Amino acid sequence: VSKRKLLPTRAALTLTPSAVSKIKHLLQNKPEYIGLRVGVRTRGCNGLSYTLNYIKEKEETADEEVLQDGVRVFIEKKAQLTLLGTEMDYVETKLASEFVFNNPNIKGMCGCGESFSV
Amino acid sequence: RHPVLFRAPPVNLYLVSAGNRRWNSSSKEEKPSDPKLADYKVSLSESCVKRLQEIMDKGEYLRIRVEGGGCSGFQYKFSIDSTRNEEDRLFEQGGVGIIVDEQSLEFVKGSMVDFSEELIRSSFQVLRNPQAEHGCSCGSSFSVKL
Repeated sequence: VSKRKLLPTRAALTLTPSAVSKIKHLLQNKPEYIGLRVGVRTRGCNGLSYTLNYIKEKEETADEEVLQDGVRVFIEKKAQLTLLGTEMDYVETKLASEFVFNNPNIKGMCGCGESFSV
Repeated sequence: RHPVLFRAPPVNLYLVSAGNRRWNSSSKEEKPSDPKLADYKVSLSESCVKRLQEIMDKGEYLRIRVEGGGCSGFQYKFSIDSTRNEEDRLFEQGGVGIIVDEQSLEFVKGSMVDFSEELIRSSFQVLRNPQAEHGCSCGSSFSVKL
């Protein structure tokens, strides 16, 4: 074991204050859930799209756990590489409210902002 | 027996279709614009009406516009508008209204506007658009049937 793998120390995912407060609000009345799980799916016109679900317990040990300001977000193993360094934001307007992922790794994006390629 | 069974349906079908045609043409003469107007309609789903009741002030409408763009050629644009122009058509339900300009209506007629709420995103969407061939996964972009 001559060469040790260097692990990145920065968080895999950072949350903006608005995302933190929205997640807190979402989980407020749902004590059965411990957090949200972010994943990617092969779907959409640009190859990949994000998924977001509640999770009850840390099912998969391969999930990366991000703990920030009291909220827990888990990242699916498959999504860890594509999401590395991403900022998760929550944008709310009268017409739409959504979680937005500001991902530095993406190369292309669909016009709607939902589908992307890495 | 068989030849009779085989021959009977075409005769019946012909009679029915001929009758239909006659009925259609006579009704067209009476009210020429009625069926056409019915086609140019956009309906609102329950969730859409509910959401609009929450967010809209008096005199405000949800405007739907179709623009070139998006990955499939055309995309829907939603905005809040309080001015209703002459070429706009208004679709009202439950005290709230959607306005669509004539050009955009050509592309969205017959479809339904819905407010979909998911964990990751809640937004207005155009569903079941008869003009759209296939859309993007997000539902905001579509291509047109030719």
